[in-house]
Order: sequence, then C-alpha cells, then structure tokens
Amino acid sequence: MTEEFSVVGKRITQVDAVAKATGAARYTVDLKLPGMLIGRVLHSPYPHATIKKIDRSKAEKLPGVEAVITVDDTPKILWTRSFRDLPMTPSGSIQHADEYILADKARYVGDPIAAVAAVDEKTADEALDLIEVEYEELPFVLDPWKAMKPGASLVHDYAENNIAVHLTPPPFLVKGDVEKGFAESDVVVEENFFASKQVGAHLETAACVASIDANGKITCYSPCQLAHPFRRELGKMFNKPVGKINVISPFVGGSFGIRLSCHNEPICIALAMKAAKPVKLVYTKEEDFTCIDTRTPHYFTVKMGFKKDGTLNAFTVHTTTWAGGYLSRAQLAGGITLLWALGHYRCPNTNGACDVVYTNTTLSGAMRGFGNPAVSWATEQVMDIAAEKLGMDPLELRLKNIKYAGEPSNMGLPTESSFEEECIRVGAERIGWEEKRGKKREGTVRRGVGMAAMMHCSGAHPLLLEHSGAIIKLNEDGSASLIVNPGSPGTHIWGTLSQIAAEELGISAEDINIVTGSTDATMFDLGSHASRSTYVTGNAVLMAAREAKGQLLERAAKKLGVSPDELDIKNRLVFVKRDPKKSISVAELAFDAIYNFKGECQTISGKCSFESRWNSPPTAAYFAEVEVDTETGEVKVIKFISSQDCGTAINPMTVEGQCEGGIQQGIGYGLTEDYVINKDTGVVESDNFTTYKMPGTLDMPETEIIIINKPDPKGPFGAKGVAEPGLVGIAPAIANAIYDAVGVRINDLPVTPEKVLAALKAKSAWKD
Amino acid sequence: MTRPLKPFDYFEPTTIKEAVQILGRYGTKAKLLAGGVDLVARMRRRQIQPQYVVSILRIPGLDYIHSDEAGLSFGALATIRSIELSPIVKNDYTVLNEAASQIASVQVKTMGTAVGNLCVATPASDIATALYALGAKLRIAGPAGERTIPVEDFFVGVNQTVLEPGEIVTEVMLPSPAPQTGGAFFKLVRTAADIAKVNVAVSLTVTDNTCREARIVLGSVAPTVIRATQAEEALRSSTLEPKVVEEVAQLAAGKAKPITDLRSTIEYRREMVRVLVRRAVKKALTRAKA
Amino acid sequence: MAEQTVKFIVNGRSYEIPIEPQMTLVEVLRDKLDITGTKISCGAGECGACTVLIEGKPVLSCLTLAITAREKNILTIEGLAKGNDLHPIQKAFIDNGSIQCGFCTPGMILTAKTLLDENPNPTRGEVKKALAGNLCRCTGYVKIIDAVLVAAEEMRKGGS
Repeated sequence: MTEEFSVVGKRITQVDAVAKATGAARYTVDLKLPGMLIGRVLHSPYPHATIKKIDRSKAEKLPGVEAVITVDDTPKILWTRSFRDLPMTPSGSIQHADEYILADKARYVGDPIAAVAAVDEKTADEALDLIEVEYEELPFVLDPWKAMKPGASLVHDYAENNIAVHLTPPPFLVKGDVEKGFAESDVVVEENFFASKQVGAHLETAACVASIDANGKITCYSPCQLAHPFRRELGKMFNKPVGKINVISPFVGGSFGIRLSCHNEPICIALAMKAAKPVKLVYTKEEDFTCIDTRTPHYFTVKMGFKKDGTLNAFTVHTTTWAGGYLSRAQLAGGITLLWALGHYRCPNTNGACDVVYTNTTLSGAMRGFGNPAVSWATEQVMDIAAEKLGMDPLELRLKNIKYAGEPSNMGLPTESSFEEECIRVGAERIGWEEKRGKKREGTVRRGVGMAAMMHCSGAHPLLLEHSGAIIKLNEDGSASLIVNPGSPGTHIWGTLSQIAAEELGISAEDINIVTGSTDATMFDLGSHASRSTYVTGNAVLMAAREAKGQLLERAAKKLGVSPDELDIKNRLVFVKRDPKKSISVAELAFDAIYNFKGECQTISGKCSFESRWNSPPTAAYFAEVEVDTETGEVKVIKFISSQDCGTAINPMTVEGQCEGGIQQGIGYGLTEDYVINKDTGVVESDNFTTYKMPGTLDMPETEIIIINKPDPKGPFGAKGVAEPGLVGIAPAIANAIYDAVGVRINDLPVTPEKVLAALKAKSAWKD
Repeated sequence: MTRPLKPFDYFEPTTIKEAVQILGRYGTKAKLLAGGVDLVARMRRRQIQPQYVVSILRIPGLDYIHSDEAGLSFGALATIRSIELSPIVKNDYTVLNEAASQIASVQVKTMGTAVGNLCVATPASDIATALYALGAKLRIAGPAGERTIPVEDFFVGVNQTVLEPGEIVTEVMLPSPAPQTGGAFFKLVRTAADIAKVNVAVSLTVTDNTCREARIVLGSVAPTVIRATQAEEALRSSTLEPKVVEEVAQLAAGKAKPITDLRSTIEYRREMVRVLVRRAVKKALTRAKA
Repeated sequence: MAEQTVKFIVNGRSYEIPIEPQMTLVEVLRDKLDITGTKISCGAGECGACTVLIEGKPVLSCLTLAITAREKNILTIEGLAKGNDLHPIQKAFIDNGSIQCGFCTPGMILTAKTLLDENPNPTRGEVKKALAGNLCRCTGYVKIIDAVLVAAEEMRKGGS
C-alpha cells in the first residue's frame, strides 16, 4: 500500500494554507484593478413576463454611472451554462442553448434583465433603482407536473409540454427484458421519491472581475471550475477567438460543482466592454441563492425486483428532472441519474427514462455528486425496503449485488478496481451494526442504524471529454514548477498533485511550486468536476514528472558512468540502486543542465497531454446512527461513518477533509436544507442563511472516515476520485437509520421533524 | 458583496434625555441603534429605511446587570452574552439563562442587547418568552417622563410595541424569585443557530405540593409572545399529577394560534406546544421542589 | 449625511479616513483600507465570515456601523501573526488540514481566539459552542475543532 512511498500517502500540509490563515489569500471578491467599476444586476421580480420596455435614461444620467446594459448591448448569441454546445461529448452537442447573457424575456424570478457599472457600490445600487422596466406578466409554471400538463404555459416555445428532452439510458444499460424480469422476481418494490434542490452555499458568492485591454483581449478573473471550456464558451458568446481571452482563477471560496457553470461572468464582461473599463461584479448572498445554479431536483419512480435469495433481477428508474427557466446542467444531471442507479448493482434486466422539464423557477445545475446523491436517496431506500420484504439484512442484500473488478461499471467500462465489499464490512463493524441494528425499540427517544452504498466515477470518460495537461520543469536549485490548471476550489488538489509529482521525481512535496490559474499559461485541462482531478490531472502530472525523471536519469547516468536503468531517485538524490553511495543531487543536475558550458543546455522538464481512456469507479458505504424523538419527530445524527474506496489516498488528511465536509452537506441535504419557492409568486423565500439552514458545529455528529486505501491499477499511484463520494450516500443512510429507529420512511427530502412526526402519527393511527 | 445601506443622519447622544429628545423630534423616521444586529440586517434588506439613526452606545452606565434582595435589573445596553455569563442569572433566573444560552452565535450575543431584542418585538423572541415567565417589568423613558409596564403589555403585534415616538426602554426589572420556584425553557429549531419554531418558558412556585404561581409562556405561536392563562389556572388549582400536567399542556396548545411558514406548520407547532409545555412544566416542578 | 473623517485603529495601526454613517465596518476594512482578509458572505449575521475582534470581543463587521467602531482596537486576521510568527491557532489550522477553501478561516480563527483567551482548556463541546456562529461548507468542522484543541494545548504549554 502506501508504506513504500516517500511522499504519497503522507499527511502533508497545504501550500496555500498559510495565505488563507493570514488573510493574504485573494479571492475574486478581493481583487482590485486600477480604474475598476462596480457592477450590479437587475433581476426579474416575476417568474414569467415579457419585457415590454426598459428605460435606462435616469440610471445613465446618475453621476458616476458609466454603463447600463440590456440584452441589446450584448452579442445576442444563445449559450448554455453546461457548455454543451462545445464538443464536450464524443457524439457532439445534444443540448439546446437557450439563454442570452441578459434575458430577452423573464423566465424565472431572478432572471438577469439589465446591469450597471458605476464608480462605487453606492452609485451602482442607486442606479439599479432608477432603471424602469415595463413587464407584462404571463402565466407561469412552478413545478414539473403543472408544467407538463397539456395547455400549460410554455417556458420555451420549442419545448412541447415544457419537456426539454426525453432521455434514455446508454445501450449498455438497456439490458434484457424488464417486464419478464419483474414477472420472474419474488419480491418487487416500486416507490416514488423526491430529491430536492440544494444550494451550494459556497461562502464566496458568485464573482467576476473583467477587463478588456487595448487590443480587445478579455481578461476574466473567475472562480469557474472549468476554466478552459469556459474560455471557449466566452469566445463563442462574445465572438472572440479563444486566444484573445484569458481566464484567471484566483483562490476560490468553495464551488461544490455549482461553479462548473459561469454565472455572472458574461454580464461582467459585457459591462466591461460597454464601459471600456475593468468591472467587478459580485453577487449578494440572496442573488447566490436565487440567480445561480442549485442542485438539480428530481422526482424518481424506482422499481426493483429480486429473487428470494436477494439477487437483483430487474430494475427500472424513471426520472422527472425539474429544470429551471433555462436548462443549465439539468439535462445531463437528469440523464446521468439513470447510470448511477442502473449501473451500480449487478442486474440482468435494466431500463429507464428521464424527462427534463422546464419550469419558471431557479436554475438547476450541477452540485457535488451530480445526480448520484439524488437517485441514491431513492434506490438505497428501495434496497432497504426490499431487504425487509425478503427477510434479509440490508447489508447482505448489498453484498449480494455489488460488483467487483472486471465487471462493467456504471459507465459501461470494465471496473478497474472495487473494494465496495470492504467498505461495507469495515463500516458495519465500526458502527456496531450487529449489536445495534433491528433491535426492539422502546421509549420516547429511540436509536437506529442504517446504511447505504454507492459507486461513482473518477472523471467522466466515456461520456464527456477527459483531457488534462501538465508541464513540470526543474529550477536550478532542484525545486520544480508544476504548471497545471485543475482549478482551486479548496479541495487541496494542488497539494495532491505536488505529492504525485514529488513522489515520481524523488523530491519533496515542498520543492514543488504550483503555477496555475491562467488559461494563457497552462495546457488544456478540462477542470474540476466528476471527481476527476486526482485521477486525470494526476496522471498527466505523473507522466510529465516521469518524462522529467527520465531526463534526470539520463544526465545522471553520464555523470555516474552507469546506465539510466541502474538509477533511482529518492530524497532529492539520484543514486545507483546497487551502490547507493554513488549519487548526485537533483539540484546539482538541474543547475548543471541550465548553467552548462558543454553544449548540453537543458531545462529538465516534462510535459503530458493526457486523455483518460479509463474510468475507475470509486465506491463507498455510509453508516448512520440516529436518535429520533418520537414526540417531536426530531432526528439527531449521533454518529456517521463514511467508508471510502478511493484507491490510494495520496493525502489521507485531504481525503478525510473531503468526507467530513461531505457529511455536513449530506446531513443538510437529508434533514435541514429546504429550498422554498412561494407557490403564488415564484419568489424564493429561502434566500439566505436565516431562512435556509445548513448544519453548523452543533448540528454535526461524531464522525469517522475509513479509507480502505487499496490501489487502483489505472489511477496515479493507485488513486481514484473521492470528492463526490464524500457525499453521495449520506441522506439515504440516515433515512434507513430512521426506519430502523422508529419504523417510518420519508420519501421526500428534506426529512424534517414535521414529516417524521406526521408519519409516526399516521403509523400509529393505522395500527389503532 | 453585501448591499450598501441607504444613507441616514446619525446621532450619538450622551444622555437618555438627549436621546429621547432626538427620537421624539423625528418620530417614525428615526430608529434607535444599540447592538445593531437586527437594525442593520433589516436595513440591508430594505425592510426598514430610517432617515435618522440614534445610537445609545455612548450613553454611559447602561450595560449593568444588578442584583439585590428586590430582584434583578439590567440596563438597555446589557448584552445577551453578559446575561448568559452572569452567575446570578444562571442560578436564580434560570429560564433567562437558558433562553440566552440557546441563542447559538457568540457574535450575535456579544453585539446584541436583551432590550434591543425585546424591541424588535418578534413573537419568536427567546428573551421575551423568558422574561414573561419571570414576570419582568420594563422601565421606559419618554418625552412625557418615565413609566413602568409589565413586559406582557409591551407587545402589540409582530414588530409592534407600545413605544410612542421618543420613548426608550432603559431597564428591565425582574422580581426576586420566591422560594420553591423553578423554571424551564425549551425551544425547537431546524439547526442550532436558528429562530425558534416554537419556544416555551414555564415558571412555577410550589408550596405543599400545590402550585401557587404559574406562568406558562408560549413564543412563536401568535402575533406576540403569549401566556396560556387557562393552562396556568388549571395548574394553579391542581394536584400536579402527570394526568393534570397533560391536560394543562393540552390547554396551552389550545391557546396557540400558529401559522405555517418556512420554519414549520400550524399542526406541528400546535402539537409541539403541547409537548414542550408538558416537558417544561415537569422540569420546572422538579427544579421548584429541589 | 456628509462624510466625516474618522480614526480607526486596525491591527495596531491608525488610519484617518472619511466615512459616511451608513458604511459598515466590513466595507471600510475591505474597500477603504484594502484589508481584505475579513470576508463578506451572507451580510445577514448568520455565517460569521465577517468576524473581527473589537477590544478583544468577536463581532460581525457586516452588521457593525463603522462609525461605532472608531478609535477602538480592531483586530483582523492580518493582525494575528507577529511578523512571520504565526499564532498557535493559525499554525494548528495549517497543520491539521483545517483549511480547505479558506473563506471561513479568518472568522473561525478569530472567534477561536476569543474562546481560548477566556477558556484556555475547553472541551470539544465548548469549542463547538464557541464556533456555532461560524459556518463552513467545506470541512464539516471536524478538523477545525481538532485544531482549536491542539492550539489550546500548545498555548497552555506557553506557545502563545
């Protein structure tokens, strides 16, 4: 495992931590450019309305206002937040581009209608109030069921019955004959579930600083997670060649997938163009809750059929995906639920479908787990329901049906490694499954334990482009610059990549300088999503380091009079394996290569453009112990165990941090985060932390993170993804624990005390 | 970013008299600033937009917590945090300590004053709920002089008090608790740092197994904090058995007029009044007898 | 209301700057003084990201009118280290993996400092209570609480 590594597997502190701990770290919101103006956006107060007239004259006359824009001030080119009209998929674009930079028609409360740039925040704020917009309100639909009714008002004219698209699973998941499979099954469970919206709630709100130079080149400071694809999208939106755009990524105050999309960046750039000055546009918390992506909500009908020995025999999922006023990432989020669900367990008969439905509500995008937390909310509860009907321990039912290495993964590729069984067994032992599960419960306050399991992905091959690049070069003192652009959402990816590079080069992680954050300076990297950075960018880094290592060994071989394959590098020394005292330092080699007067000048370096043709699925199991107060319906999570098969943990401290953070988000998703849209007005009522409650210190359970730490054959040093697995199965584990405690099951997120109490009363009323 | 506040004229009187004068002059166009937690947050959301802000922060001698045989009093600038940390409040006015402790944010408690919290007049106020249970009185200074009213007479509706233009609450006074008095405070929230869905405060004085005095106070289930007077009556004339406690809780639930909002529902709130009153009465009894 | 020039003492240094009464302390720090370690997140007093210390007490600078903080000793995250010597709490956060995106970190560290200044030997539960007004979306708080306890021990040994 990782005992043989020098740097990989170590709990190394992060290079950016000092800047963050001292206030020196600059995020997009902290940036200031000379002559910079402040931007603000005017949003629609109506869920659906024609814009009849916009009178900006008063705003423009206010002293200090330097630009007021509407859609007519932008190149009216349709785009989509998911960048799907880029060649992101092997099969080409399949998503409709349906939004302009500023709306031509209001399609949700919050839709950006106009924007201003002014000398300071006070003036920009005043200017917003001076823009007069004449709206004609239109009928609107606020949920997919109303939206799909014949005769419902259309959000977009092209989408009949507001169905943007009807999706089916990829061919490898349309298997067998589901009708026959269900008929053959001894136990069939069919249930409906609702997985709600969740707000990313990254503490740094959506932000952008944009400036246009004298040559018309755009510099865009943005926290967007996918800098290179974002640059391409900007090029399309603004009719500019990509080379005339530089996306710079400062420190980012959290992303969680919400920032896969750009949000107010195009507006900021449009303002900078109109004003011919740099502009900074930062959203308020209320705007973040209502005008950018949230996690996509879905309704699921899940049907699973089992043989009496617990073998899963037939499985269908129907997903109704609740998109907002524009598609954003709802389409892919919906379609992929079919893969997460149908591709997790072994099953000979599978099929499904997904309808993605427009509504006049806030945008549904990508958030950590991208549909897996949502559909697992459904499927992992159905597993428990079936286990009860089968008279089986839910643990045994999972173990009966999980996949192993070699079997087709949820992406249809051979599973490179899977230690899901270990995850389940070790987690069960640590929570005390045998002692605590299924016991007779008494008293007002009752405890229970529950679990869930999952399979995810390391990157999105073969569905989406998987391409990352890395350059590494040695400085003359033996330190190295690692030029990469994975983003910096706070996941410690720079540290992980440094450890990978340092391990390969035989130097120390602190010898690596990360050079990053500029699309001009870095090779293409898709960016951070789908838990891909360690696995894909990590492999690019590994191979770039390997190339540099080769050059070091070549040069050392000449100096030491041996052949390169007799050498290795450790602790900054290149040494002869059979005679380690014969050595030369990396620093000396690097210096000699640069300040070389023998005609052998070289910057020792390596470069790799890597396309991942594999996708090693991480797996995990989650165990919750809860305490339910049967008089108040309150659910307290006492202990939570996250048991992770993420291959080799390059930095166990980082992996733990991801999983501990995931528990906060999972408990919020499962129990407390309720996104409330007013049914009469379409206004989001939960628009700040006062109204939308996410867990604080006092709401967290005791946690334990188990890292199985068995290497994957394809990941760099055996690593797989872990960022999203840190969250996926938390909510259903809690739901299953509640059932164990008090015998009620809530199918709609979040599981509030009100719902639990109502279910308990219904249960006892039925019994009486 | 955060929205800039709209401009206002700002005053920093150094005496109560001066503060009363300025507030009186500007009436409803003026707002008083103490901790500012609620004022600034609501100004930012444009829920209130005063043209004049009158800070009492520079008036000396208002942050005291004072205790003697007559009881406890604290001034307009006594912070919620200082009340939480006060040993006397903890020992003798437990309900108030529990209410203050269950406000989660240390920063909010450090900035926020108990009097300021009262003057916001939200029916979900933990402090108000506790002060009703403790029989608090408020001293009010105004253009017409000074008056003292029971805290229960202070609230008129949501965010509405009886304060006339120019009036300032300068002090809260609590009577010394009678022997064999016990109290308890409960609140239900979504996460720990949240405004109550329901809050309940009970204070009982027990002599010879009979309840002599009872205050059963319900927060968040009416336009103001209310007392469940029928329930109190039932408790006072009872023998304090569990069955009676259950009936008392039921009566209290009947007094509640909750709404459904984003925090909770009518049905749940009403049911929780019953549950929390039962729990609070039981706990208060145990403490009273101790 | 007209601007008035007001004196602020931030991290031991004095500044005289023109402000208007409606400006909040966080805006003055970030926009007027370019001291950007203090962050704005919710603007509603819920998240604690804007926490600074005024006379050693933790307050929400987004809800503090700047004028009320004049001539008081204000400590922001930038003022905690002494030159290159980090405060034990800062060191503990760095060493224990307690910082991910880092946006909550300044507020967390300053609030933790007020706890340890009052209570040098807190329990885990007391640390949780002290930080209940500081939200984090990345870490789940676990390593933050670990770090505060490690720092407490370090400070008791005289590492302050």
